Amino acid sequence: MSIKTLEIVRKRLEERPEELREARKKGQKVVGWTGYNVPEEIIHALGFIPVRIAVGGDDRLVEVGARYASSKTCVFIREIVGAFAENEDPYIQQTDFLAFDATCLQNYRAAEVIEYFFKKDVVVLAVPRNFAEDDAKTYFVHEANEFTRLLEERAGIALDPARLAESVALYNDIRKTLKSIYTFQAAKDNVISWEEVYDLIQAGELLDKHEYLSLLHQTLAELKERHHNPVIESDDGDSRIFISGSLIPRGDRKLISIINSVGGRIVGDDLWSGILPHLDLDIKEISPAGVALGYLNRTPHAALPYLNLESDRRLKKLHELLSQSKAQGVIYHTLRYCDPFTFKAKETKNVLAKSGIPLLEIHTEYAGSDYEAMKTRVEAFVEMIRIKSESVQEEAA
Amino acid sequence: MSISGNYFAGVDVGSLAAKSVILKDGEIFATGLVPSGVNSVESGLNALNLALETAGLQKEDLTYIVGTGYGRVSAPYANKAVTEITCHAKGTNYLHPSVRTIIDMGGQDCKAIRIDQDGAVVDFAMNDKCAAGTGRFLEVMAGVFKVKLEDLGAIALSATDTVPMSSTCTVFAESETISLVARGEKPENILNGIHHSIANRIAGLFSRVGIESDVFFSGGVAKNSGMKAAIEQALKVTIVKPEIDPQLIGALGAAVIARNFSKKEGLWA
Repeated sequence: MSIKTLEIVRKRLEERPEELREARKKGQKVVGWTGYNVPEEIIHALGFIPVRIAVGGDDRLVEVGARYASSKTCVFIREIVGAFAENEDPYIQQTDFLAFDATCLQNYRAAEVIEYFFKKDVVVLAVPRNFAEDDAKTYFVHEANEFTRLLEERAGIALDPARLAESVALYNDIRKTLKSIYTFQAAKDNVISWEEVYDLIQAGELLDKHEYLSLLHQTLAELKERHHNPVIESDDGDSRIFISGSLIPRGDRKLISIINSVGGRIVGDDLWSGILPHLDLDIKEISPAGVALGYLNRTPHAALPYLNLESDRRLKKLHELLSQSKAQGVIYHTLRYCDPFTFKAKETKNVLAKSGIPLLEIHTEYAGSDYEAMKTRVEAFVEMIRIKSESVQEEAA
Repeated sequence: MSISGNYFAGVDVGSLAAKSVILKDGEIFATGLVPSGVNSVESGLNALNLALETAGLQKEDLTYIVGTGYGRVSAPYANKAVTEITCHAKGTNYLHPSVRTIIDMGGQDCKAIRIDQDGAVVDFAMNDKCAAGTGRFLEVMAGVFKVKLEDLGAIALSATDTVPMSSTCTVFAESETISLVARGEKPENILNGIHHSIANRIAGLFSRVGIESDVFFSGGVAKNSGMKAAIEQALKVTIVKPEIDPQLIGALGAAVIARNFSKKEGLWA
């Protein structure tokens, strides 16, 4: 039986573009943001409506984007550029200005291209490459203050610390509730699927934050009513898959649908379009600097270089999430020309192999032409996990 | 290896050929190999019927059928579908239990597969979606030189030199080949270069999964002696001599898996 609140969420998403249109008529401004380190709380506290610019899965828009950006740019960025060129996306249409960050340099390039060709006002938050060093933190605090100043200019008001505290509390509550809901998707009785939770996370990129929190609480209440104590363990015959790698934005469900079609069960992810940005965000001080440092201290994005595998927090987090979800294998999704993740595929595979966790890299783009080839790989990977699992069970018996 | 029981069949529908193997009492009883047509259901049935005819059996005599290959998704005659990666692993292990690494080159893709002592897949990698390093690529090249596909390998082996081929894209390689011919390069030397460029590309696949002896070469392209030699050189290995037509390995694996499924489902003891 499906979770009733999820139906409400889907309905509210359908109504959301019209709501944004009405809000703008009343003088509110919509900020389209994208980037791993954009401190959304600051945008929210200044009275803007934040919506995440994240579109994928449309090869035609990728081709349109390639007319403005290099055809060697990652397909996600090319699609975003293409979406701005066509201006048919209901959320992009409603944006008053944009806030991008430079965590991934292709994201930064997209900001340049969109500003130049489509005359959009874009505020860019610079992000330090050497994020782990003290100087980098000082630099990022400076950039976050400058980012806030640019937003204040556009808001016509100064950032009120009390409003920021309210926004931080709201977002903290959202993150906490999402984490609780996320536990259920990996649990034995499967009362909510990973796919449903993933859609729910992405709904939060668009809906009003207060309403979203209320819908999350409602979802959690429904889950608790059905299943008091979720226990994360394997059901018989499960092939428990964890998804890692390049983001999978709204509109792109190719890999997810393939995994489902061959009988794999997704039980976790560390995608920056998924649960990862909501984990480990600890804001110690209510100020732009405090929020910025909270963001920078999370699990870092793959685009930021870090060469010491022993102390790499990304790998540590991946191991932790794999263990929590009791995943049996990782499908590592890389988008064509998404260098940060593509470069790390082999390294991640080797590291996980030491823990006995197999990794399958799926390198793809938004065209449907590789669907069958992807399906063969994923199906063989699921078969491999299942055979291994059956052989372990037989040995135990 | 000997397994007892009834008749089990594996049907492997690839992009260029459809293959079938029937097992009886753990031994290969009959095989079928036909060119694939546009209708993969028909191609699979043609291959299966050929093996049935050779064996003097009816389809009803078969206890269990497993379909594999790209045509496995439309194989209504099969009890189950299994990927060709798993089937090549099982088929190879059935014939050559010491093999731990498989190179499978078919009509439209190429796979590097690592297996354990039971024939279970440990790791694998496949070529990207283009035709480089596949049977189709070699078919195009045979067309350029107007020679039979099955003669390509022997011609390459008669080369006195290796003309480097910079492109593995089928379309670009075709035009590069035409340029090399116009430049006066000998066909056998160009073909030798083509085989080596494919072999080097395959070596790239193995950098992802690793190589462990013994190494086996399956799929239709495995019948090409020039490709076998080029791969042995690129990977610095000696390939195990196949006991049967290497193009039948996927179908054989499917038949072995059919026998296992049948046992698991209690259809025979």
